[in-house]
Amino acid sequence: MAPSLRGGTLAGTEAPHVAVARLGRFERLPWRRIILVVLGIVVGGVVVLGTLRTLGLDRVEGGYSGGAWRDFIVQGAAQGAIFAMIALGYSLVYGILRMINFAHGEVFMAGAFGSFFFADAYAKSGFLNRSPLLALAIVTLVAVAVSVGTAVLLERLAYRPLRNAPRLVPLITAIGATLFLQNAFRGFFGPQPYGYPKPTVLAGNITVLGVQIQRTQLLVLVVAVICMIVLQWFVATTRTGRSMRAVAQDREIASLMGINVDRVIVVTFAIGGVLAGIAGVLFSLSFEQVQFTMGFRPGIAAFTAAVLGGIGSIGGAALGGFVIGLLQAVGPPLILTGFGIPSVFSLKDAFVFLVLVLVLVFRPGGLLGTGEAEKV
Amino acid sequence: MAARRWVRTGAFAGIVTIFLALVGLIGGFTDVFLIGDEVTFAGLMLLLPAFVAGFVAAAPRIEGGERREMSLGEAAVAAAVAAASAGFVFALAVLFTDLIGDERIRPIFLNVSPSLMEFVAFGQSTVVGAVILVALSTMAGVLGGVLRAAPPVIRRPVTAAVVVTVLFGFLQRVIPIALDQLSLERDWLYHPIHDGLTWVGAAVVAAISAGISLLNTRFGARVRGSLSSSIGGRSGLAMSPVRLIASVAAVALLIAAPLLLGSVISEVLGTVMVFALLGIGLNIVVGYAGLLDLGYVFFFALGAYSLALLTGATLNVYGVPPDPAISGDLNFYIAIPIVMLIAAAAGLLVGAPVLRLRGDYLALVTLGLGEMVTVLVGSPWLVPLVGGPSGMRGITDAAIGGFAFRDPQRFYYLALAFVALAAFLSWRLATSRIGRAWTAMREDEQTADAMGISTTRFKLLAFAIGGAIGSLGGALFAVKIGSLTPASFQVIVSIQVLGLVILGGLGSIPGVLVGALVLVGLPGLLREFEEYRFLAYGAAVVAVMVLRPQGLVPNVRRSRELQEEERAQDEWAKAVEEGETPGELGPPAEVTT
Amino acid sequence: MSDPARSPSADAVLEVRGLEKHFGGLYALSGLDMEVRRGEIVSVIGPNGAGKSTLFNVITGIYEPDAGDIRYQGSTIVGLRPHQVVKLGIARTFQSVRLFANMTILENAMVGQHCRSKGGVFGSIVRTPGVRAEEDRIRQRAEEALSFFGKRLSGYRLEQPAFSLSYANRRRLEMARAMATDPQVLLLDEPTAGMNPRETLELRDHIVRMRDELGLTVVVIEHDMRVVKGVSDRVIACDYGQKIAEGTYEEVANDERVIEAYLGTKAAG
Repeated sequence: MAPSLRGGTLAGTEAPHVAVARLGRFERLPWRRIILVVLGIVVGGVVVLGTLRTLGLDRVEGGYSGGAWRDFIVQGAAQGAIFAMIALGYSLVYGILRMINFAHGEVFMAGAFGSFFFADAYAKSGFLNRSPLLALAIVTLVAVAVSVGTAVLLERLAYRPLRNAPRLVPLITAIGATLFLQNAFRGFFGPQPYGYPKPTVLAGNITVLGVQIQRTQLLVLVVAVICMIVLQWFVATTRTGRSMRAVAQDREIASLMGINVDRVIVVTFAIGGVLAGIAGVLFSLSFEQVQFTMGFRPGIAAFTAAVLGGIGSIGGAALGGFVIGLLQAVGPPLILTGFGIPSVFSLKDAFVFLVLVLVLVFRPGGLLGTGEAEKV
Repeated sequence: MAARRWVRTGAFAGIVTIFLALVGLIGGFTDVFLIGDEVTFAGLMLLLPAFVAGFVAAAPRIEGGERREMSLGEAAVAAAVAAASAGFVFALAVLFTDLIGDERIRPIFLNVSPSLMEFVAFGQSTVVGAVILVALSTMAGVLGGVLRAAPPVIRRPVTAAVVVTVLFGFLQRVIPIALDQLSLERDWLYHPIHDGLTWVGAAVVAAISAGISLLNTRFGARVRGSLSSSIGGRSGLAMSPVRLIASVAAVALLIAAPLLLGSVISEVLGTVMVFALLGIGLNIVVGYAGLLDLGYVFFFALGAYSLALLTGATLNVYGVPPDPAISGDLNFYIAIPIVMLIAAAAGLLVGAPVLRLRGDYLALVTLGLGEMVTVLVGSPWLVPLVGGPSGMRGITDAAIGGFAFRDPQRFYYLALAFVALAAFLSWRLATSRIGRAWTAMREDEQTADAMGISTTRFKLLAFAIGGAIGSLGGALFAVKIGSLTPASFQVIVSIQVLGLVILGGLGSIPGVLVGALVLVGLPGLLREFEEYRFLAYGAAVVAVMVLRPQGLVPNVRRSRELQEEERAQDEWAKAVEEGETPGELGPPAEVTT
Repeated sequence: MSDPARSPSADAVLEVRGLEKHFGGLYALSGLDMEVRRGEIVSVIGPNGAGKSTLFNVITGIYEPDAGDIRYQGSTIVGLRPHQVVKLGIARTFQSVRLFANMTILENAMVGQHCRSKGGVFGSIVRTPGVRAEEDRIRQRAEEALSFFGKRLSGYRLEQPAFSLSYANRRRLEMARAMATDPQVLLLDEPTAGMNPRETLELRDHIVRMRDELGLTVVVIEHDMRVVKGVSDRVIACDYGQKIAEGTYEEVANDERVIEAYLGTKAAG
């Protein structure tokens, strides 16, 4: 039936089967856009409705007082500061290697766990309460050392051999590394949680500008802000920072310009490790507990923060961290309580994941980004 | 300078040994015997890194663009240096521990146990023990090095013998049961007291496997050649005779396994089959369509819970009416298609907004969805529907007439039937127009679109079919357990399934089975290793990705993609002489002006 | 389909009106007009950066235009996804060859037939007679398209992975794949780039044969003036995203603005 290659057709005649090819009206509709708009309206509606209903509730009906909201916000900001510091690690590495270092949450966990044994020993010997500043400094140094070591090892052993592999290969590797690190620490130290000691200076509340806040939360906020300023300065002005920016722009050109790309990548992982280590101590002081699984959910929250702010950008990661922290603390009570859902705080993590999904669907480029999922 | 490299390799192996000791893989296994009463699992772990160090140190080097094999003597020296360094590093750690006292380290590193210290000192004083350690490591390393440098005719059979013998050692709870069932004599093969292989048994196993391997390398190629020419020679059809026999034997074993192995092991094998089913489903999404889905547990949970709801299971909660908010009373076999339809619809619903995302973002969105499911099924909010933290019970046993399938041996056959069905579907799809579209999309999404493939439609299709098979896995799991709790639906399930698909080889259906047997079966059979299962998962995934991205039983094309990408790119670049952008395989270069 | 009263040229199969596309501040296309008549070979020439490849990308739906209209057989195709454009009958090749490197040569061409077949999930699993016949047809059609280039892409090569091909053969395979979509209009983006003089001449004949033997309408972006001269019914010259000249090869080659555009950019470059 099929003659070889429709031979001999004259110019101007129509090939028989092409005339059949028509697109129906249905096919011409921009389906993705329609779905997004509908989804957007639904999500927006739920948020607005939930908020209105919650704010309309009395105390007896389960509503919250103004003081409760203030506590949520402070708590969210402190959480967000920690997320921001972890998020910076994701963002820096992504900026340079265009890979998601999924195992970064475990780098954070490693630092926290490593510092625990020193903090514990100092608490038992009384050193932690005698000179808390010095003790915490040493503990933090240990955490930073462990985190940096973990991050650099990870780069050297798992990621470097895959520098030029298809994009998903390093991501899968990172997932494997996450599992490996978690269970290595479980193997070393056991599955049980350890109580993290807190110096007495940090117990209790303090009033800043008329707002009562926990001392630990104040410490977290101050340290996080200082870290971010230092990092910004480092990347903007130092020689190494300049190399990092150059490698982020174009790895090949940078190496042709005499920049040691391997070294820059290691430094980037190390900086991420430093921040994760400090965040690990701050997190442990806030929650007074360490366990081998502690890195996973903060890791996801921090990754969400990095994407929300626009992955690859330092300011974006910082902003994203605070936004996620606040959303996580304020969002569930504000939106979900209105629908009469019991124990909204148990849905805190689901809320973060929902935010992650929505951010990636609606603004994959992040708040500060262009909104383009992928360049053509 | 070569010596420095050997020492570095060795030192790394030494650190790996220390790691193994610290996570407890040495001290905890001094009484798991593999062969006789000499070779224990602890001993294997102690010397394996040194052996590998020797093997690696003796590997051929690329020098000045040429591959240079080492002579046997050179290899032995290199391996000895490397392995001695490995032993030395570990011995130093032991001496150091002894110096400050292991009881002071134990509060931190729980596995620095007295039995570990005693084991690594070989019952001698620590110093003498250290010397023995270095000597033994060196010997292990030299063995590794010599093996590496030996010609393939020797290397392959020896490797086969060692690997198979160790495997038989591991299967000490499995093979003896089968021998008993067949009323065969077992004491010559497995030690009656220590459980491990006897030396005689080990020798026989080693000899047989070496012989088969030798036959295969010697005559395999020739037989393969004549076979393929007689068939008519489409490449890829031809199998080596050993492989053909092995496949037939594998199928026979799969069918006979529960009868041979009794209900305890059938229980484990049932779980293996559930995971194999999940693997086949995920393989469609990841292996065929190239979409990294980390939220596969979503479909697993959906299948399990919707089956429970459709077939009239009850809530496992006190003080609440036992019937869930939505409840049906269907027969298992009527419910299954409905469950799969629900899952496919859910796949479409979830997939539609996210599928235009770039690969790594898609992975994280799906991870987020998976985690949401975990949190939701366990939340107090959904207690009236799925029972919250305490879950549901009274799930159907999938009986046909009066013939129930809850019994492990029977369940295995039920699961095997579904696995066979899913594998068949998956194979048919892969070799059709649809499979071709998936492959094209995976290789270059934009070009596939420009050649007339609706990428959105085929991504959604993969998601829906993968989801339906995943839900089938969930439904079977529910039948197997008989009750559901949120603890079974953690995100780790997604990663487990991904791990077994990757270990077996992306895009390969036999690979999924092998992956499930290794990653789910082995740890399930050896209860002592339960704790280390996820450590092994993580290590396996990283190792496969770094060393052998095509997996254990590779899919031909997938392995080309993963392994030879760089080579292809080189060729590509070489061919482009006029300064064109050779970026076809990497991120697509801008095609503007 | 087209309305003769409205359209200036009734036999135009492809019409581009006032097409604009910006990338940030860069105007890749700024008000380009052109039309292609059924059964002719049109060459698009212009210096690098003149917007030629962008034109192809906008026509095939890879980019959405910022302004302007593209009409194919009388109805607009702006806003369609690339696969829909292919289905309507416009196929293309890429400037940087983009094959499915790990698929075999035959499979690459069979992908081209995808949009002309419809075997679904059920049919693929059960292998209904309809689906089997369709699969045979896809295969046959792909082999036909490949045989357009003689023995180069046939025989034992059918089962070889695409990455094993030489550069010139990759270009040919890409064209065969596009031809396997059964198009009306074929857009070729620098088909001779990277080919040696002998291969270039051979390809020139192939392009002519596409029109004469297969009745295809061909739009070709080309830098090699021998090819342009040898194949073109009409030549359109572009610069800065606009049409600067149109006509026969001789007319365009002697156009002052064209000469200026080439010399000017050469001097600047």
